[in-house]
Amino acid sequence: MSAILAINRAGPLTTVQDDGRFGMLSHGVSASGPMDLAAFAWAGAAAGGGRGGIEITMAGVELTLTSGDCHIGWAGGDFAIAINGKRKDWPGSARLKAGYSLAITPGRWGNYGYLRFDRDIAVPEVMGSIATSTRARLGGLSGRALQVGDLIELTGGAGSPQLAPPPPEPATGPIRIIWGLHADLFAPAQRQHFLDAAFVVSRQLDRMGARLDDKAGVFADTTILSLASDAIVPGDIQILGDGTPIVLLRDHQPTGGYPRIGTIITADLDRFAQLRPGTAVAFEPVTVEHAHQLLRSRRT
Amino acid sequence: MSDSANRAAIALASSLHRHPLPGVAEVVPNLVSVLLRYDPLTSSPSAISGELRLRLFGLDSAAVTGTAWTVPVIFDGPDLDEVAALLGVTVRALITAHNAAPLRVLATGFAPGFVYCGLHPSELVVPRRTTVRPPVPAGSVLFAAGQTAITATEMPTGWHILGRTKFANFDPTAMPPTRMLAGDTIRFEVAG
Repeated sequence: MSAILAINRAGPLTTVQDDGRFGMLSHGVSASGPMDLAAFAWAGAAAGGGRGGIEITMAGVELTLTSGDCHIGWAGGDFAIAINGKRKDWPGSARLKAGYSLAITPGRWGNYGYLRFDRDIAVPEVMGSIATSTRARLGGLSGRALQVGDLIELTGGAGSPQLAPPPPEPATGPIRIIWGLHADLFAPAQRQHFLDAAFVVSRQLDRMGARLDDKAGVFADTTILSLASDAIVPGDIQILGDGTPIVLLRDHQPTGGYPRIGTIITADLDRFAQLRPGTAVAFEPVTVEHAHQLLRSRRT
Repeated sequence: MSDSANRAAIALASSLHRHPLPGVAEVVPNLVSVLLRYDPLTSSPSAISGELRLRLFGLDSAAVTGTAWTVPVIFDGPDLDEVAALLGVTVRALITAHNAAPLRVLATGFAPGFVYCGLHPSELVVPRRTTVRPPVPAGSVLFAAGQTAITATEMPTGWHILGRTKFANFDPTAMPPTRMLAGDTIRFEVAG
């Protein structure tokens, strides 16, 4: 039994995502996938575990279930959701019937929210995944963001929604990093300055990366280093030729030639992705072993 | 970046593809390094590094051989005259020198299907352009820093454009989606 969603309004970066397109880096395609993995997973469990979901940005979304019915779950950041005009708790889950409409608008914090279903989003798999890559223009609906008028078919057997405890409020404090591939190219004093300074998330952020404002001038005097291009991973903090730090995110290009001073650890990457423009951010180094411990304790 | 470092990276990746290490999910050769991706919930660098050291110890960089490709190029790029002038040769001599020796695919993957080929001899080395050009089409043949690159998707570039080829190295509906691999050899020729 299938159901059809009609998009009535969508922000410019509203995309279909699944867990990601892994194993394609040597073909020039990074994994993509949700900017906030934990929220995506929570919404999926609450909905009933259908494949894929819709990633919503601060611009919000409005849609109608034009036929069929389905169970939905939502989570990620703090947004407001209304079904047929009636406000529901965020995060949460509900059953939608044909003709129901739904509107999501931004709340107090966060850049990304997720809407998931008990059925699979029926779009063609590209290289093993339906995740939209905004950079490579692959996956989702022809590799693009959702637009007004799009119809999304939900297919497959309905899964069972799980009653999960509400996700914890996001941690505060410094974003933890491990020192990066090129950290040794920066002088010890500059590395210390990097840890002491507060950067600010700039308005230039998207699924590929988030530029930081370097108010303290940590990298103001950085001379352009000539490096052989090397592999990039999500969370890498790259220093551009003009000294601008940029944190590379899910739709990063697979390689880059700018020096990387550090890499945000996986356990803190969801939290970083949810920081709105204008938010101050400080970094704190941890060891790889500590980063792994933090990840394991979060997942259990 | 050196020829021997690149050969070693390709040889290590090739060895890890032929005989996978437990716990390693993805192996990606780059210009002078190899990315190993692992799941930190089930593996760790310390679990992988011992085996990896043994592999590095027994590495034979000379043993890597790949597919031999011939890529026809229409040499009509907007930067031909400028590059020839930088090198102090005629455009005809530049094209002849460019195609004279087969190149190796040094790495792939900056963008879908993008390949770096090299290394040209030192007399063919020019720096990148000082400005980045707006998106150039798939199949553009780029030239800078002793390398020739081929684009497989539209992209902005700071490299010089020598020409274009119909060779398409990216098809998202195929598996694998790209045809050229690091370690393959490429002979460029003037399209007839």
